[in-house]
Amino acid sequence: MKSTLIIVAVIALLAIWFIASYNKLIRLNISADESFAQIEVQLKRRADLIPNLVETVKGYASHEKTTLDAVISARAKATSATGVADVAAADGQLTTALRGLLAVAESYPDLKASANFLSLQEELSTTENKVAFARQFYNDTIRSLNQAVKTFPSGLFAGVAKVSARAFYEIENAADRNVPNVKF
Amino acid sequence: MKTFGLLAGMGALVWLVVFAAMTYMGKSSAMIVPVAVGFALISVWGSYYFSDSLVITMTGAKIIERDENPELFNLVEEVCIASGLKLPKVAIVQDSAPNAFATGRNPEHALIAFTTRILEVMDRDELQGVIAHEMSHVANRDTLVSAVAATTAGAIAILSDMLTRMMIFGGMGDRDDRENNQNPIAIVVSLLVLILAPIAALLLKSAISRKRESLADATAIAFTRNPAGLRKALEVLQADSTVVRQKSNAVAHIWIESPLDGKSVSKLFSTHPPLEERIAILRNMEANPLN
Repeated sequence: MKSTLIIVAVIALLAIWFIASYNKLIRLNISADESFAQIEVQLKRRADLIPNLVETVKGYASHEKTTLDAVISARAKATSATGVADVAAADGQLTTALRGLLAVAESYPDLKASANFLSLQEELSTTENKVAFARQFYNDTIRSLNQAVKTFPSGLFAGVAKVSARAFYEIENAADRNVPNVKF
Repeated sequence: MKTFGLLAGMGALVWLVVFAAMTYMGKSSAMIVPVAVGFALISVWGSYYFSDSLVITMTGAKIIERDENPELFNLVEEVCIASGLKLPKVAIVQDSAPNAFATGRNPEHALIAFTTRILEVMDRDELQGVIAHEMSHVANRDTLVSAVAATTAGAIAILSDMLTRMMIFGGMGDRDDRENNQNPIAIVVSLLVLILAPIAALLLKSAISRKRESLADATAIAFTRNPAGLRKALEVLQADSTVVRQKSNAVAHIWIESPLDGKSVSKLFSTHPPLEERIAILRNMEANPLN
């Protein structure tokens, strides 16, 4: 009688542990999806701001063609990218191009003073921050997910839960990419 | 986890008071314990459950919509994305002192409020730090923690008050019990416990509040990864000597900068760690970003 009770208790504990580990993996996987969706929402918002920004800058500095074109082509790439790695790469390029455009704007006092540009600048900087925070949140989630998948014992259930380790959202560092080739 | 220890200390204190009461008055006095705890529970948990609406009335905060201050909402949204929390209600308090607070029984009922002055004096990064600090209180469920602390402190206060009255009027005391228990040392000690317990409870409550403030600073940096923003914000608060026009001391602990600092008897009774100390910790984080 007593031993039956012990066996039942052990099985019950094992079942609880199994369910908890399984649910943890599923929860992490869902929040990874959600946080990637948040990055995409913010990237879309930023892409939507760009045509307006380009038009405004054109009105004051139409001859800054190279800078404007760089932004437009980076935006086109960013809106068509899919998958974590591609989205991240296009995001990095667009960020660099936008910085270039805002730096150019510095030398046009009329542009800098225009109300339209000021409100665009605020929208752009908040969206830039939101993209960065969404990225940070996504990477933190992926870190816990990968840890759970790759460590014992939670990793035992990764196969059953159909959850696997996922890629971090890494944007290429603009400064690294611009390192010139050194020739001797 | 230190908060947990302090809360356990509160629990031990309640037990000590009950023990002292039983020694002094006899076993029948134990019946007032549920009464005192009940009183404290009802008053504190009422204010905990309705904390968002109650604090609005006590501070005169007015809830605003996005189009009334889109820039502030942008900042709040940024911190929400960084923390994964839901967008809280945002409110404004008409006041000439820079300050801010957060309340609400859970993240779904969170409210963060800013004085009109803090929005004028702080730049984007500083405000972001302040918002992150407030959202940390929401994430760490500090309204709940302070409600638990206030309940126990309140129960102890009511208990000691009732017992002291009973001693003076000698009414309800059980004669038989009392005569069986005439050890004079025990009586003196239990009397001391009854007198000192409310003060000890207040000290513990303040210690818990200070711990939660430091924790909120640390959590804020985990959200924004920008210690400089919050550090500069605290320096702005330090440089400003005005304090919010408090309608009630009961809500003093919820502000980012304590409105009672000047009046505080000593550091032990203040609800916030000193600003210099908080700034020094943040400076240290800036210097050693990997810690």
